[in-house]
Amino acid sequence: MHIPDGFLDTVTASVTYVIAVGCGILLWRKFKRSLGAEEISLLTVLSAAIFVAQMLNWPLPGGTSLHFVGGALAGVLLGPFLGFASMTLVLVVQCLLFHDGGITTLGANVLNMALVDVLVGYAVFKLVIGLAGNRRGPRMVGAFLGAWLGIVLAGLACGLEIGLSPSFGFYVDVTVPVMVSWHALLGVVEGVITALVVEYLHVRLPLAVLPPISREVVER
Amino acid sequence: MRASNLFKSKRAWIAITVMLILSPVFGVILADMVGYHEPLDLAAEIAGLRDVSEEVNWTPFFDYSVPGLPAEVGYVVAGALGIAVIVAVGYVVMRLVERRREDVGLA
Repeated sequence: MHIPDGFLDTVTASVTYVIAVGCGILLWRKFKRSLGAEEISLLTVLSAAIFVAQMLNWPLPGGTSLHFVGGALAGVLLGPFLGFASMTLVLVVQCLLFHDGGITTLGANVLNMALVDVLVGYAVFKLVIGLAGNRRGPRMVGAFLGAWLGIVLAGLACGLEIGLSPSFGFYVDVTVPVMVSWHALLGVVEGVITALVVEYLHVRLPLAVLPPISREVVER
Repeated sequence: MRASNLFKSKRAWIAITVMLILSPVFGVILADMVGYHEPLDLAAEIAGLRDVSEEVNWTPFFDYSVPGLPAEVGYVVAGALGIAVIVAVGYVVMRLVERRREDVGLA
């Protein structure tokens, strides 16, 4: 889902940069007081894990490939701000060091994978465990649905961005259905991996599934 | 286990190392055999968009390769390099946060 250089026109690239930076500043202002060394330590290890997990490309029958994105996982484990920070760190390293995702399209990639995917994953997970209780079933269902919807909506955002960018005419009516339908399928794999990792960590590391920052948000 | 100990968590780093060692199987060997083609490429083809990454490239590690190394080895070295940068950034931020907390008497 990393949009390379050349796919976005100047307007779309600029607008997505402004939205990504603006939301980053808002999240920073809201959460900076609650930052601690424990959260940063968790963020670092999770970022490294997401970075390397994204290097595992799975070819699928029919000539399509996918890799785990991990935005919803970051949102569930770290909360909205640190989840955003974790995915942004991964995306910036991928872009600057390996040119995986363009520099002109970094704003759009942050918007799709560090904002939409993270916030949707986080919100759906919280909603499900808020309604059904913080038990094994709701946790796994919440993580699965959050990751699935996160990927589908990130795919939708990506489809909109590239559909609005061609020099001649808009292709949103084609790019959005392609991106949404494929990601509705690929999102199932993302959902299963996210649910398994969240549950595993909940057993091994209960603090990580509801870090202090996330708990504050839920209680507010 | 407390979250702060995660930095030192052997289990987490073993998982990361295993994924890193296995990564060329998926990222290079299988991708070359089947051809890496994700939905974004499909949508971009229909919209007539062109990837100009190779023409405007700035990094020697383009697409997780290392100059002079075979693709499979380069992929692992590039991955290790990426992880090292992430850990370095995380470590510096963690120390800054710790120092700030000490300064305001929260530690």
